[in-house]
Amino acid sequence: MQKFISEQNLHTLLDKLIAEGTRVVAPRMNAGTPLYEPLKSASEMVADQLPRRSGKEAFFPLCEDIMTYEKEGQKVTLKDIDPARFPETVLVGVRPCDAAAIPVLDAVFSWDYKDEFFLERRKKTTIVGLACTSADDACFCTAVGLSPSETRGSDLFLTPLEDGGYACESYSEKGEALIKGHLELFAEPGNSRAVSLAQPQTEKFDLKKVKAWLDEHFEDSSWDSIATRCVGCGACAFVCPVCHCFDIVDEGTEKSGKRRKNWDACGFWKFTHHASGHNPRDQQPKRYRNRIMHKFKYYEDKFGQTLCTGCGRCIRLCPVGIDIAQIVEEISKK
Amino acid sequence: MCDHTNKNIYLPYLATVEEVIDETPDVRTLRLVFQDEQVRENFTFRAGQFGEYSAFGAGESTFCIASSPTRTGHIECCFRSVGRVTEELRRLEVGDTMGVRGPYGNSFPIEEFFGKNLVFVAGGIALPPLRTLIWNCLDWRDKFGDITIVYGARTESDLVYKRELKEWQERADVRLVKTVDPGGNGPEWDGKVGFVPTILEEAAPSADNTIALVCGPPIMIKFTLPVLEKLGFTDEQVYTTLENRMKCGLGKCGRCNVGNVYVCKDGPVFTAKQVKAMPMEF
Repeated sequence: MQKFISEQNLHTLLDKLIAEGTRVVAPRMNAGTPLYEPLKSASEMVADQLPRRSGKEAFFPLCEDIMTYEKEGQKVTLKDIDPARFPETVLVGVRPCDAAAIPVLDAVFSWDYKDEFFLERRKKTTIVGLACTSADDACFCTAVGLSPSETRGSDLFLTPLEDGGYACESYSEKGEALIKGHLELFAEPGNSRAVSLAQPQTEKFDLKKVKAWLDEHFEDSSWDSIATRCVGCGACAFVCPVCHCFDIVDEGTEKSGKRRKNWDACGFWKFTHHASGHNPRDQQPKRYRNRIMHKFKYYEDKFGQTLCTGCGRCIRLCPVGIDIAQIVEEISKK
Repeated sequence: MCDHTNKNIYLPYLATVEEVIDETPDVRTLRLVFQDEQVRENFTFRAGQFGEYSAFGAGESTFCIASSPTRTGHIECCFRSVGRVTEELRRLEVGDTMGVRGPYGNSFPIEEFFGKNLVFVAGGIALPPLRTLIWNCLDWRDKFGDITIVYGARTESDLVYKRELKEWQERADVRLVKTVDPGGNGPEWDGKVGFVPTILEEAAPSADNTIALVCGPPIMIKFTLPVLEKLGFTDEQVYTTLENRMKCGLGKCGRCNVGNVYVCKDGPVFTAKQVKAMPMEF
């Protein structure tokens, strides 16, 4: 279904949803940093900046309670999560690199055992993607087969138009329902052209070649030169739209507390550290190798997908200037 | 078992500590009974599977289910106290409550071992993952040929399940070869002295129609596999069970992989052939 919506009507739509009790999450400024966060009013939305962290946390929060416990003598009582934890949500202004990440994450959270924390939110959330109009040197979505107008993962996709407002196209029943429920705010598509979209300066990587090299080069001297400088801060994993490793920890006292799922990162030395003291990934290059392998080989082996959407956040934030796009490009040329 | 469809997959069952057994000064067995009657009646598992055991307030740790699936009504775990969770589990007394998630992972294909001889090779704290299978096989004794158990530890005191070693030693239908590392033997020691791979080579079990099941520290595995090869075992005849740090046990949290193999889902039980195909990352 194709429609047009003006900037003003988009705001009206979001404010209406908020008033109805829907959680509306969009890029907004938090202490000077753009983040995907629940809006109190549509006017808070900042559509022109790439949020510091990705949109995955609307489905997979940084920290999340998975149960609580209470102890009384020898007895323990557990309390499961309250399903009200997962409200109807509309995630708006999502960059194509962030929206495309969500179906990638579906694979791991829904194979075999189902992670209801992710999947319930997924069921209750409508994703409204927004075509990307600004790329910087770190952007490389085009290199991994996506683009500033990629609609994968979006239920509804907005493309800004030269004459103002957005061309709006639905890609799922959820997207269509959002239009149909507020039909008065949408108009028939007009003749205005789309504004010029972002043009990331990277060429498409030959991901098959990258994988073929990774298949054969678990042991290779280049891993040392690639990643000896990695300080293991984990920033790359924390800002990544598709990194999904987590830890499970208890927080509380002898009497009561909660069990939480917290984001974790394969760059941390403790990530694979055994109780015996043995650590299969005992050096930083081995940990960074796992990062590259997971993204461009293991996830491909397991789920047939690349675990990278080219958002470039890890490149922008790495304190020692490790550039994953450059690394992968070099591998593709080996 | 463990029908987690549309349920919180991270929510453990509650279990009561029924018995506490000290295996060594720092290794302890807990015998657990599920508190929920339905879980107690319906919980089934296969030898080789593992669980996530929790001490509430400290967190979860991963251990195999050390008891045999043939012994119903309870399960056992066996662990060394080395960290926050295991120290806390060690504080539990009879009647206390802990958490269990599982059973997870694959298992030993015991049906494929029917009619064959079995050689178990274990070192130190790695006996529990094989002990579940040993008892399973002993409880179905007539389905197997000769059963040999080669078990060693650094010292006499480090041997776990001492009472069961005695029982196996006294059984006519089991050949137990126990050993301690040189210097680990006291004046009363009635077993061998030497490292497990050496003692295995001495014991020289026939590879003919035989399956070897090996579990131990990486160094023991490293030296045991060539001995088995020398004895004529092919890589398909040798099984081991891997341990990696895990959190979820469910193929989500992303840390137990060896290359593209998830130990929690594809394992923990692998043949030597499978292990040799993996990158050296365990």
